[in-house]
Amino acid sequence: MTEVLSEQTGRGAHSGALLEVDNLHVEFRTRAGVAKAVNGVTYSVDAGETLAVLGESGSGKSVTAQTIMGILDMPPGKITGGEIRFRGVDLLKLPEDQRRKIRGESVSMIFQDALSSLNPVFPVGWQIAEMFRMHRGSSRSDAKKKAVELMDRVRIPAAKDRVNDFPHQFSGGMRQRIMIAMAIALDPEILIADEPTTALDVTVQAQIMGLLAELQRDSNMGLILITHDLGVVADVADKIAVMYGGRIVENAPVHDLYKTPAHPYSKGLLESIPRVDQKGQELYAIKGLPPNLLEMPPGCAFHPRCPYRRDNCVTEVPPLYTISGTRGSACHYWREVIDEGER
Amino acid sequence: MGRYAIRRLLQLVPVVLGTTFIINFMVWQLPGDPFAGRCGQRPCPDAYITAMREQFGLDQPLLVQYWNFLKNLLTGNLGTDFNGVSVAGQLGDAWPITIRLALMAVAFEAIIGIGAGVLSGLKRGGFIDNVVTLSTLFLLSMPIFVTGYLLQWLLGVRLGIITPTVPDEATVPQLIVPALVLASLNMAFTARLTRTSIVENLRSDYVRTAVAKGLTNRRVVGIHLLRNSLIPVLTFLGTEVGSLMSGAIITEGIFNIHGIGGLLWRAINGQDYTIVVPVATLLVLVYLVSNLLVDLLYGVLDPRIRYE
Repeated sequence: MTEVLSEQTGRGAHSGALLEVDNLHVEFRTRAGVAKAVNGVTYSVDAGETLAVLGESGSGKSVTAQTIMGILDMPPGKITGGEIRFRGVDLLKLPEDQRRKIRGESVSMIFQDALSSLNPVFPVGWQIAEMFRMHRGSSRSDAKKKAVELMDRVRIPAAKDRVNDFPHQFSGGMRQRIMIAMAIALDPEILIADEPTTALDVTVQAQIMGLLAELQRDSNMGLILITHDLGVVADVADKIAVMYGGRIVENAPVHDLYKTPAHPYSKGLLESIPRVDQKGQELYAIKGLPPNLLEMPPGCAFHPRCPYRRDNCVTEVPPLYTISGTRGSACHYWREVIDEGER
Repeated sequence: MGRYAIRRLLQLVPVVLGTTFIINFMVWQLPGDPFAGRCGQRPCPDAYITAMREQFGLDQPLLVQYWNFLKNLLTGNLGTDFNGVSVAGQLGDAWPITIRLALMAVAFEAIIGIGAGVLSGLKRGGFIDNVVTLSTLFLLSMPIFVTGYLLQWLLGVRLGIITPTVPDEATVPQLIVPALVLASLNMAFTARLTRTSIVENLRSDYVRTAVAKGLTNRRVVGIHLLRNSLIPVLTFLGTEVGSLMSGAIITEGIFNIHGIGGLLWRAINGQDYTIVVPVATLLVLVYLVSNLLVDLLYGVLDPRIRYE
């Protein structure tokens, strides 16, 4: 893939990050109307860096990821604006056959439900080996050998004996390991993990996160970790982008966000994590429902649920205010939110 | 899998016994004497009727007749019909023609039906999809004797492209139109089933994964999507082989093909149970065996199916 891109840009000629999403707009044309799923999302990830994208269902985090991969269903989906630059080249302007070569080779993705995401009628080894056969033209036997090595690498016990087993013969955690093996097969530069641990139980979640972190360290991949679970990201992420209603409402280095959230929504998310020292107290929950994408609230999309709401929140859409070089918050009253957090 | 196959084979024994008994019983229940009308304009003399009844064992009780039938079936001795012609010989002449016709029909169902279904499922709402939906609706609403007579009249009589009836040798080219007629209903149903299956699987997560792996569109559709979508279709085609055989009775009648269907048709009209019973038994066996094969094939097609 790098050859394809270097023809156009010259490798490393660009100055920005490895992958940059710039002011992306995506909408879905449905019978009920136009659902604005992504409204001007901007984020970036560099080699060796982990970006956690946080948000509840419908916040646009998965749609953004699918747009990066080029696997968005179009129609009903439609990209109405923005750029996705990989090594400085706008992927959205590349012809399909070049985008296809990037998928799996340079940018790859793992999904939430590994059972339905793996093809039920082919052995897992075959599905991993397909990456080598189709992208690299390896022979069947070579590709299978590499598949076993990969299964070893993601620590599937007795990989050699299990290479011909089918997805349904594995446990949930093992299946997700197979997905990971498939995604890292060709040493991609960017790995997008879309809620990789949501369908797993807690101990397995930790193992999978540990595995992802380790693989990323070894190969210096850029990792985009999409989740709705703040507990998952604390240890692995470098920076966090919090999404709400198709926008990024806060971005920050991970520790800053945990210490002093600068947006009422991120603050609400943090407060709704159960904590040992609050045993016996009622658990905080953000009141209200996520916004209806067909009818976005005017002004700040979060205002109907926001405890800091003032009059201008209903009318003025807050821009992403710069707090410091690496931090931003889309709240008119971010100072207040931070100050209260420090108290 | 092996044990499952053996168990399924053993299960066939009571089914075959039951069905053949019912066939014998029903034939025995048919009103009228099969020999009474065999002497032209005059009634047959009693002596002839008695002699014939004795010769074919019709004077015996039903259970004895059935026992003799089973004995003969197992020893492969099918005897002669009422005219003294070897039943096995007639079956031997008719069987290959029907097999040829049925295989051609299955091929049409599979190739045209699956092809049309895939094309219309991939571009849902497109031009091809509309054409396929309309034409399958048309085919599904027409009984095959209507389709048969219509094509016979149009292609055979009006346009003269084919001979209206099939000559005795019934070669593959001569059987194309009858096989299409025989296949028409199942072909339309296969197309619809394939379309539904493709549409359903097109949205599935593993197809999304296949796209995310960077595979070519051709491979995503041809390998990942098709392999899964064809499981219910192949099952349908297999189980319908049996119903093709009964459809063949009408098709062979229309085009005057000397196959099993025609043989059975004439035998029923002549009340010649010496032909009816073995042919019906044969059809039962074909049906049972094709169902068994489908069940075994299902496990090969879909590895999630386990035979305990």
